[in-house]
Amino acid sequence: MTSIIQLQKLTKSYGSHRGIIDIDLEVAEGEVFGFLGPNGAGKTTTIRTLLDLIRPTSGKALIFGIESTADPVAIHRRVGYLPGEFALYDRLTGVQHLEYFANLRGGVDKAYQASLIERFDLDPSRKFKEYSKGNKQKVALVIALQHRPELLLLDEPTSGLDPLVQQTFFTVLHESVAAGATIFLSSHILSEVEKTAHRVGIIRDGRLVKLGTIDDLRDLAHHQVELRFAGEVPAAAFEALPGVSEVAVDDHVLRMRVAGAITPVVQAAARYELLDFVSREPSLEETFLAQYGHEAVEVG
Amino acid sequence: MATRATSPDRAAVFAPIPLRHKLYGFGSIYGKTIRDSRLAFIIAAGLLGGMSLVMGVAVSNIFPTEAARQEVDALFGSIPPSMMNLFGNVELIGSKVGTLGGYVTFKYGVIFALGTALWSVFALSGTLAGEAQRGSLDFVAAAPFGKRRIALEKVSAHLTLLALAMVVLAVMLTFSSNVFGQAALGDSISLLSSAGFALWVFFLALLFGGLALALSPLLGRAGSAGVAALAMAGTWLMTGLGVGGPLLALSPYSWTFDHVPLVGTYDWPPLALVAILGIVFLAIGVELFARRDLGVTAGFSLPATPAVFLGVHGPTARAFGEQLPRALAWGIGLGLIGILYSSLSGVLADQLGSAPSFQGVFEALFPGIDLASVGGWLQLYAELLYIAAGFAAATFVSRWASDETDGRLEVLLATPMARARWVVAGGAAALVATAAMTVLFAAGIGLGSASGGLDFGDAMLGCAALGLYAAAIVGVGFAVGGLWRTSLAAEIAALFVVATYLLDLVAPPLNLDALHELALTAHMGQPMLGQWDPTGVVACLVIAVGGILLGAWGMSRRDVAR
Repeated sequence: MTSIIQLQKLTKSYGSHRGIIDIDLEVAEGEVFGFLGPNGAGKTTTIRTLLDLIRPTSGKALIFGIESTADPVAIHRRVGYLPGEFALYDRLTGVQHLEYFANLRGGVDKAYQASLIERFDLDPSRKFKEYSKGNKQKVALVIALQHRPELLLLDEPTSGLDPLVQQTFFTVLHESVAAGATIFLSSHILSEVEKTAHRVGIIRDGRLVKLGTIDDLRDLAHHQVELRFAGEVPAAAFEALPGVSEVAVDDHVLRMRVAGAITPVVQAAARYELLDFVSREPSLEETFLAQYGHEAVEVG
Repeated sequence: MATRATSPDRAAVFAPIPLRHKLYGFGSIYGKTIRDSRLAFIIAAGLLGGMSLVMGVAVSNIFPTEAARQEVDALFGSIPPSMMNLFGNVELIGSKVGTLGGYVTFKYGVIFALGTALWSVFALSGTLAGEAQRGSLDFVAAAPFGKRRIALEKVSAHLTLLALAMVVLAVMLTFSSNVFGQAALGDSISLLSSAGFALWVFFLALLFGGLALALSPLLGRAGSAGVAALAMAGTWLMTGLGVGGPLLALSPYSWTFDHVPLVGTYDWPPLALVAILGIVFLAIGVELFARRDLGVTAGFSLPATPAVFLGVHGPTARAFGEQLPRALAWGIGLGLIGILYSSLSGVLADQLGSAPSFQGVFEALFPGIDLASVGGWLQLYAELLYIAAGFAAATFVSRWASDETDGRLEVLLATPMARARWVVAGGAAALVATAAMTVLFAAGIGLGSASGGLDFGDAMLGCAALGLYAAAIVGVGFAVGGLWRTSLAAEIAALFVVATYLLDLVAPPLNLDALHELALTAHMGQPMLGQWDPTGVVACLVIAVGGILLGAWGMSRRDVAR
């Protein structure tokens, strides 16, 4: 399948400040790629490098097979972009903004533009400075989508949108993908990536620390098990079990982390008199947060 | 289950904020306002102090003898009676116009006052209303102290800088007069006289700045600044030209008309009245800010730009749409000044022409300008207005730069528009805005000249010199913005304007010809008289176009800032 985005050892540093380091990544045509990471991890730096708004310190970014620094205009012609933070023209109305950005692209399908306005429930007659944060986001979304781009670069796209509009937004994204578009979705909110993405990459401290499918991320999930014994805690009987780690004893309570199947733990526990057995599976969100935190993870 | 709200077991203990950070920096609203205003202060204090210093050097060099001073005394005779009071109380200045104090009062006294008051108007109209419009005031207002304290700290910061600028003015006047002036010819200015003059400037600035602050919660930044600036200029003209009838009683210039401290005449009670009124305005402004909704004005605003001029068809039209309100504001302002000046030029030229003995004096004052001709007077005005045209250009640069500094450029450059095209389109729009401003100025000159029955052809064409100079400043700003960073482009362009102005002002009386050559405005010829210097014209065009192209080249090579 054709690669729409190819990052090869892409590095950007701002003097003494870290930007992104040795990012290797490919996004295939028609794919929805979720780019996850905490604030300041390097998500926006990566996107801005793709668009040639900033230049790589080393490495390459190829979009549609074109190196980002070689012909950015050719890339922009086929891209829709929603920045994470932006400002527009206070004195222009919503519709004037849409007209202007349509003109910069040589025109757009007016019917599609109108349908987006309607679906996002945007009142285009008001001046930009009068819009709420959510409505400003809607204007920017229509600007990014109205020319039916082949590649959508979306940085925190649902910021400020109410749940109903978010739902509409994801529907529009699915339609775009169905029509052949590729989507690079940057976010720090796992649930919005989970809804749409085929694959995800997790960036932390400027480095890509995990790359895989949503299911791969789910595989990282584990159980937190807590056993309360009537008598002494037989910790040694559990420590050697497969998948068990972080075993801790607190009075008559044994706590442990269990990766993979929980059956061996259940079978071992059945040999003792138990007062309580609690097993909790962390949400994907918690798993994701663990990736943000301390755990070393492999790439690929 | 019942819950009980309790205080924390113990309050968190933080290191105290150092006093120096509370006074300058991020330790308090006061400190941050001082920090944010440092550039304006440096420009204001630099101009006031620098001019004071230059006057001491220049007057003693140009009028070194008593005979020369007596010729200056005779200057008053050349001014039409109806205009006598525009530049101060001529009766009280009297024969002392030949002293440094009298000369400074007559030639620059009102300019110092108007310029300083304008600084206050812009600062105090914007300190709260401007920040409210940007939205940053919401964060400040959410801090654990009241709106009244926020307003007081911001106002105090401006008053501190204003007072410091006045100290610079007073000290430099006294220093300059005693070091460079000729004591035997009465040049020495005592510290009391300097302080009296600085207080007059300070209180006028306080009054009009206070008026802007008081109106800002109702009219917003632009509206309040406009009304206060109009009141400032209107009351001065009423007093100077003796028009307005009973309204003259409202003019602070009339109240303080007999206060001419630089010639040793003091009238303190009216000055105190100006101060009290200024404080009342400030108090009203602070109270209105404290009591009204944040950022909500009374709904009065300047007329919006017609949709047809907003420009959504392409980047050049869009950039011009953003520049148009500034171009109109500068053009109308310069045009009104042009009407006033040009309508008086004929009278002034006639007066001077009929008194050849004064011509020598004026030739020394304004070397190379024939003030016995109408065009000569217009040329003098043009020389004085170069700085205004330059600052206008710096504001055009600032508007263009805001695309990047505000974050719009991200969205713009994600379209199929090359970076160089963004710079060139912005540059073209700034040049068109400069042209629009120049046309309005020329219209004012033409209208004023026509009303005085004067030939206006050369003068109207001559206004293009200001436009060319402004275009060059645009080029400087775009080069800086493209090559380096847009966040400093307008500031550096403004510094270029100030440096050029001071060079053009200081170098000739001090016979520093080589230094004078560095001033772009020294190479424009006398276009109001139809005498153009091709060197300056070509230099302006090269700097304008070259600067924009250089900026486009630089922009293509650097990262876009966030």
